[in-house]
Amino acid sequence: MVKVVVIGGGWAGVAAAITARKAGAQVTILERMDILLGLGNVGGIMRNNGRYTATEECTLLGAGELFEITDKTARHVNVDFPGHSHASLYDVCKVEPIVRKLLADRGIDFKLRSRAVDVKMNNDSVRGIVLHGGEVIEGDVFVEATGSTGPMGNCLKYGNGCAMCILRCPSFGPRISLSQKAGVEDILGKRSDGSYGAFSGSCKLNKDSLSPEIVEELNQKGVVILPVPKEDIHVKKLEMKVCQQYALKEYAENLILLDTGHAKLMAPFYPLDKLRRIKGLENARYEDPYSGGIGNSVRYLSIAPRDNKMKITGVDNMLCAGEKSGLFVGHTEAIVTGSLAGHNSVRLGKGMSLLELPVNLACGDLIAFANDRIKTEEGLKTRYTFAGADYFQRMKDLNLYTTDKTELKSKIERMNLLNIFEEKLV
Amino acid sequence: MGQKNIVTCIDAGSEYCPCYLAENNECITCSHLQGKSFCDCNWSGVCIYQEFSWCGNMKKNPRETIESKIIEKKQFGENVFVFKFHVSKTLARQLKQPGSYIFVRDMEKPLYFDVPMSIMYADEQRGEIHIAVQILGVKTKALLDCQEKMFIKGPYWNGLIGLKDLKGTEDKDVLVVGRGIALAPAMLAVEYLLHHHNRITFVIDPGKTGSAFIEDYFNGLEMDKVYLNLRTEEGLKQLSHLFRQKSYSLVYSGGSDLLHQSLKDLIAKSDENIKLVATNNHEICCGEGVCGSCTAHTINGKRIKMCKAQVDVEEIIERGNIHG
Repeated sequence: MVKVVVIGGGWAGVAAAITARKAGAQVTILERMDILLGLGNVGGIMRNNGRYTATEECTLLGAGELFEITDKTARHVNVDFPGHSHASLYDVCKVEPIVRKLLADRGIDFKLRSRAVDVKMNNDSVRGIVLHGGEVIEGDVFVEATGSTGPMGNCLKYGNGCAMCILRCPSFGPRISLSQKAGVEDILGKRSDGSYGAFSGSCKLNKDSLSPEIVEELNQKGVVILPVPKEDIHVKKLEMKVCQQYALKEYAENLILLDTGHAKLMAPFYPLDKLRRIKGLENARYEDPYSGGIGNSVRYLSIAPRDNKMKITGVDNMLCAGEKSGLFVGHTEAIVTGSLAGHNSVRLGKGMSLLELPVNLACGDLIAFANDRIKTEEGLKTRYTFAGADYFQRMKDLNLYTTDKTELKSKIERMNLLNIFEEKLV
Repeated sequence: MGQKNIVTCIDAGSEYCPCYLAENNECITCSHLQGKSFCDCNWSGVCIYQEFSWCGNMKKNPRETIESKIIEKKQFGENVFVFKFHVSKTLARQLKQPGSYIFVRDMEKPLYFDVPMSIMYADEQRGEIHIAVQILGVKTKALLDCQEKMFIKGPYWNGLIGLKDLKGTEDKDVLVVGRGIALAPAMLAVEYLLHHHNRITFVIDPGKTGSAFIEDYFNGLEMDKVYLNLRTEEGLKQLSHLFRQKSYSLVYSGGSDLLHQSLKDLIAKSDENIKLVATNNHEICCGEGVCGSCTAHTINGKRIKMCKAQVDVEEIIERGNIHG
């Protein structure tokens, strides 16, 4: 039996836990908050642009459970909004309990309110993870999926201070980089001006605080586009966004709202007084972050160097996933990297060779491309997502983008990778 | 490679945080306020760096020295005095937690006569605190002249090492051992432990001071009291016997480092996971982590300011000076 300990219960950690379990490991997830999914509790956008391809690829590779859940809880499917096609928007209020149940059904142990603060090492191997209260959780292989966002001091130094986001650092304590504790220095993402980190790209408005007309349109179409008053248009503001796929001119000239249960506002933050000048938003209030009028969480401050099999360079038995593994944006990206890391954790535990996804799959190419580019200064200022910006263009150029499931299936069959993540290795 | 001993600051998140140390990039907790570029702290609470920023990159107001009326001064034996002070209800409340201490000073004397004294009793309803002073050196001798008033500076809280374990103990058997003047701080710990439904066996060694000064404070406290002389073979044997009689979860050591060591040895022999909490015996002079007189080193050689820092109790005992 291989014992895999996953640190961080966001989309990446959960995905890693599932594939590790499928491959036969005994799996424990350590999560510092009282809920799973982390920022996934305020996300919601799936299947837009190249994410559609990645979702289908990952499902064909044998890790489709989480996408099944996000599909099943979708409030809207096949939504188009500026720069984006065929998005589906999951209901952020429904998804976490379903994921929790899935983990329990699969026999995956998850410990909530269990913040990891340190590692116990044996030369270059991690022996165990030290929790906040001093308890040590031992394991054979570890997957770090602690993300790269916050904590408060970073949000202050590189942002506008704590905006009280879903991560709730004052309640559950700060994120700690375990790979760094294991002696491997973090890589730091940058903005186009060279400063460190980037703001999270969207916030949520409480739907009940919006006008009945806007609520109705959101419920029906999933998207509402409201023009920004001329004096308030700041194209410059787009530069500080994480989500370069949403850093389009349309996003400066309009407020774009998406219905994910709350009204997702596609801007990192927006001063409340200005927001309330817009018709229909006169009574608007923020749902996440609570102080969305002044700022948002700052991310990309803690990335581990890794290979394309997701193993952290310099630690013998630790892999990484999600934002911890690169300048990725989005849940789909987290689930894809997590699924590979989880599967490989069991291979590593058994001394087998690790799986590398081929670059003629979008999933494999994203993982390899982001890893190449992170070594360059320019690459540190870029974000990597199937959903847009440079990478979606690359997908199209390389003919990796498709919504044809049959074509994808025969491609993955040809590679002999169909349902590889379903395979029990121990 | 990793943070092997987690040091926490007793003042973190209090109304006195951030302090002088933060202003000088010497904060015990916050990596930014140690001059580093990114978060690497273990503090679960509102960010100290954020507080510092809100304060205009300055410390909060430090503790002030106040004049305090002496309600009563009572002598016990040759050299123990119990002083009862009138203070604000707020200060009395702040000084109610185990490990609380203040600095006291004769009002005629300069700053460097400030001497730390553990709180033996605090009444937040009446605004009253009691301390027991053993007259030993220059600073304590100077207190003998005080009749009406005295200077007080506080509240300070780091009088016990292992406070977290003490506070986490509920509905358990606890062995409290106190010797001589260190019986005084044991009273706040005892009150706290009883309030949290623990069952206490209190071993009282009158030491050189006798235990008369503390007897009044036992009224109404339900616990088993055993009087032993722990500087005799017989006393230690009886302590060891007592120790084995119950399955203790926590041992409180109030006394010299020698006493701490004896209790630590007893625990080590028992093979049980018994927590140890011990009085902080370091020489504290400023209480603010500035003067350096209380500096200790952990087994790993890390420098610790013992007036503010909570650290693994075993670490400090290993490297501490064994006073007689």
